[in-house]
Amino acid sequence: MTPTRARLAEIETKLDDGTPLSFDDGVWLYRTPDLCTLGALANRVRERKHGERTYFNVNFHINATNVCHADCKFCSFARLQPGMPQAYTMSLDDIRQKLVERRGQHVTEIHIVNGLHPELPWSYFKDTLRVLKAERPEIHLKAYTAVEIHDFARRYDMTYEQVLRELIDAGLGSMPGGGAEIFAERARRKLCRDKATAEQWLEVHRTAHRLGLRSNCTMLYGTVETLEERVDHMLRLRALQAETGGFQTFIPLSYHPEGNDLGKLPAPTGVDDLRTYAVARLMLDNIEHIKAYWVMLGVKTAQIALGFGADDIDGTVQEEKVYHMAGAETPQVLGRFELVRLIREAGRHAVERDTLYRVLWEDDGAPLPEIRVGASVPYSSGATPRGHLPLAGAEAQP
Amino acid sequence: MSTALRVLGVSFLNARPLVEPLRSDPPLGESGAPLFEVGEALPSACAAALAAGDCDVALVPVATLLDNPQWEVVPDVAIACRGAVQTVVVVAQRPLAALSRIHLDGASRSSALLLRVLLASQGLTPELVVAPHGEGASRVRADEGALVIGDAAFGLTGRFPHVVDLGAQWFHDTGMPMVFALWAARPGALQPEHTRALQQAKLRGRTRIEAYAADYAQARRARGELALPEADYARYLRHAIRYDLDAWEREGLAEYLTRARAVLGAAAEPEDDDVVHVHFADLGYAPLRRRSSGRALSLSQTLDKARAGERLELAEGLLLYDEADLLELGAAADARRAALHPDGVVTYIIDRNVNYTNVCTARCKFCNFYVPPSGKAHDQGAYVLSRETLTQKFRETEALGGIQILLQGGLNPALRLSWYEDLFRWTKTNFRLALHALSPTEIIHLAHLEQLDIREVLLRLRAAGMDSLPGGGAELLHDEIRNRISPFKNTTDEWLEVMRQAHAIGMRTTCTMVFGFQERGDHILTHLDRLRALQDESLAREGGGAFTAFITWPFQAEGTRLKLRDDTSAWRYLRIQALARLYLDNVPNLQVSWPTLGPEVGEVALRFGANDFGSVMIEENVVSQAGAHFMLTAADIEHHIRQAGFVPARRTMRYERLA
Repeated sequence: MTPTRARLAEIETKLDDGTPLSFDDGVWLYRTPDLCTLGALANRVRERKHGERTYFNVNFHINATNVCHADCKFCSFARLQPGMPQAYTMSLDDIRQKLVERRGQHVTEIHIVNGLHPELPWSYFKDTLRVLKAERPEIHLKAYTAVEIHDFARRYDMTYEQVLRELIDAGLGSMPGGGAEIFAERARRKLCRDKATAEQWLEVHRTAHRLGLRSNCTMLYGTVETLEERVDHMLRLRALQAETGGFQTFIPLSYHPEGNDLGKLPAPTGVDDLRTYAVARLMLDNIEHIKAYWVMLGVKTAQIALGFGADDIDGTVQEEKVYHMAGAETPQVLGRFELVRLIREAGRHAVERDTLYRVLWEDDGAPLPEIRVGASVPYSSGATPRGHLPLAGAEAQP
Repeated sequence: MSTALRVLGVSFLNARPLVEPLRSDPPLGESGAPLFEVGEALPSACAAALAAGDCDVALVPVATLLDNPQWEVVPDVAIACRGAVQTVVVVAQRPLAALSRIHLDGASRSSALLLRVLLASQGLTPELVVAPHGEGASRVRADEGALVIGDAAFGLTGRFPHVVDLGAQWFHDTGMPMVFALWAARPGALQPEHTRALQQAKLRGRTRIEAYAADYAQARRARGELALPEADYARYLRHAIRYDLDAWEREGLAEYLTRARAVLGAAAEPEDDDVVHVHFADLGYAPLRRRSSGRALSLSQTLDKARAGERLELAEGLLLYDEADLLELGAAADARRAALHPDGVVTYIIDRNVNYTNVCTARCKFCNFYVPPSGKAHDQGAYVLSRETLTQKFRETEALGGIQILLQGGLNPALRLSWYEDLFRWTKTNFRLALHALSPTEIIHLAHLEQLDIREVLLRLRAAGMDSLPGGGAELLHDEIRNRISPFKNTTDEWLEVMRQAHAIGMRTTCTMVFGFQERGDHILTHLDRLRALQDESLAREGGGAFTAFITWPFQAEGTRLKLRDDTSAWRYLRIQALARLYLDNVPNLQVSWPTLGPEVGEVALRFGANDFGSVMIEENVVSQAGAHFMLTAADIEHHIRQAGFVPARRTMRYERLA
């Protein structure tokens, strides 16, 4: 048996026994050139947990303000001051309008992340939730990353717990996983030295879990971090999860070089994306779901990721007409049927979930309505550009 | 099928080789009952009877397909001509341009339309009046003419000073054959056994031409009618009339239908934009079975065999296509790639795709690049690249380190072989660029246009500077699919024959496959199998001519007329590419298609059996028209190759590494 085979066999045994993989295992898996074998390992774990089920949800995003005092090098909105030409802040009525214009539409979740605005009052963030709840009380509000929660606590002089309790009172249902970036201090200093530290980020989630909130977690990769730092990041998440069990989903986020200070870095690559999904699935044995966020990955890579450990393909799914209106250039929403189709084409079973992974609909294999060829832009054309949504640290991350 | 189909043939001499064998030797179905009950009528009556439901199958004038696009047409059978036909003529006392009135023949709408098309192209507008069949010629007055069709035309030789043969005139105007009639059936009537019986009747009928000619002459004499010598009738059937529907006839058919439709005007406007189409009857290709010499196949054994590089049987390939896991296929393909290219190098080339013309006769439904050789679209958008434009493109290519031009274009009847020869010589004189030029489809077109053998065309083009032949135009090498998506384009056999001839003269070529046309696994396996068989044949020959590489990609549907939806996902692409690496054991290189899938998937595909990243993208009109817009530089390509864990190297078309 070659050393490679032997190491693989050793890892397979651990996976079969339910023994968590070690730091060295993670780094070794990252380095193996045999992409398909790595993927097959991850797929075994994925199928053991979820079979062919592949989850999506029907949601939309609100970024109420893009003003942000943080100086994250990877973000197109870094240090955007109020009054700058591209800066905006929605009024509460603008926010309500987002639901008014979707009246009658099927939506189960609103995903809300904002910049770290230096001037808005605390009430603004609670009222954001309240106006949305008043309009559609049944919609789940997944709002504010740990970085924002940390910023609220500091700015308005409260504990994380106080902040979270007041937000829960206002309608908060769960927390997105953004702002984690990469935990390793070396990399974090280079990327985002002035926002919540790794410990603070983890502490916010620890608190949230204790208060009964579920949350997601993320990792930004493809910047200045090493493979070791990626594995370290995963292990820190795994440790908190062992303590609280509150994370639902891990979402790797690939870095996009457009329009920010790190532009000179090479773009992320398909092989790196897939091995990151696979390694995450293998390392994070105690986190139930791995999400291939198609808006970031591109539809094609996201679909392939469904064979490399991912069992969730996110939402941002809307009605077909909206999807068509979105136009050919930058598909930011994918039609429900397109999504189901691409899950089927990967030999998987589509399941619509709510935010807490309760099943709302299961694919019964019924024929999907035909969409005119030519209108079905996102994945028949291959034109899905990576990174058309700015990967703003606190802006667009799940 | 218990009841025989009611068939109406045409009573003209030229239809006998198609119709007589159905009577003299009635084809029987599997149950032993006759397949057909055969009657005869004049051409226009045949079409009317079919439209009215009074018969099931009829030999119809092709123009009637415009009103009846749903009719199913028997593939490979026609009544056509390449040039003079003798039996569709305008007779007159004066030249065509001087006629004020032409008497049409009530028996054939197709010929009348053909006349209108030809008059329109010359700007002539004589009055057209319909006369009963056979009576037109006797009505001709001083400045009048008559359109005479069928056997009646034989007797007119020498009786009129002016005779315009419409077959010859059409050929003069378009450079293409004219197709007059086809076997058409109401939808659903033809079972594959009927379709094949009608095709076989043609083959039998063609061997009895002398007998039909003799019978015909004797019957005329017996009735006291004038008759030509039997040999003249035989020569007419053997040389003037063509009974095959080859690629060139299909080009002519498409052109005629297009022009006829324009002459008919808006009244004949079909509802959708699928302007010209022939719906071919299904030949009932039996789906391949997944069994091998009677034993059940094991998936894991087949995968092991594939991984070890043993030759896969068709049935084994199909098993892998249907059942193998994506990642298992990928791992096996990656192992084969490593065995074939153990140095861990992934190559790429710097070349430029130049589409020298967009004019094309083939009207493939999957293409949104072409403009037809006539009509409004042509007038608005047709181009042939000038030497100035080519100079600029070629210079840019050289400046970017490019070593080759991938030169492909439409089937433009205005461009003769000498145009290509001049272009190639000019390129070689002025640039240091290899010419990877002209797909088999273009070679077939040129061979027809020049009435030369495929081999002769290839030799002349090579002498002028062509270095290698790209594998475009293959799409899916299975006529069941081709008949659906490109009814006017060359068949599988025609495509493969060009590659066979190219390899025979020592030329390197590539081969391709486009999927996503609602094909089945066995269509895909058949495609791969035909390529592999030809490659075996070529490698057994001395001289080095062979396929250097295989490239597959998903159909890009955006903006095309092909309204079908199929799985063209990245997932399926990776499966098919991996399978191709395993099945095409004798084709050394596999190229990823990043222009259609994006560089990320292209990079991943390097771990699914491919060892080449293709080319930088300076230009690729055809696919980008359908929505692929990725651009990469050589540095980008090298980045992606490294990310996949390989060492990048530049190459030539022959896969020789460049320092």
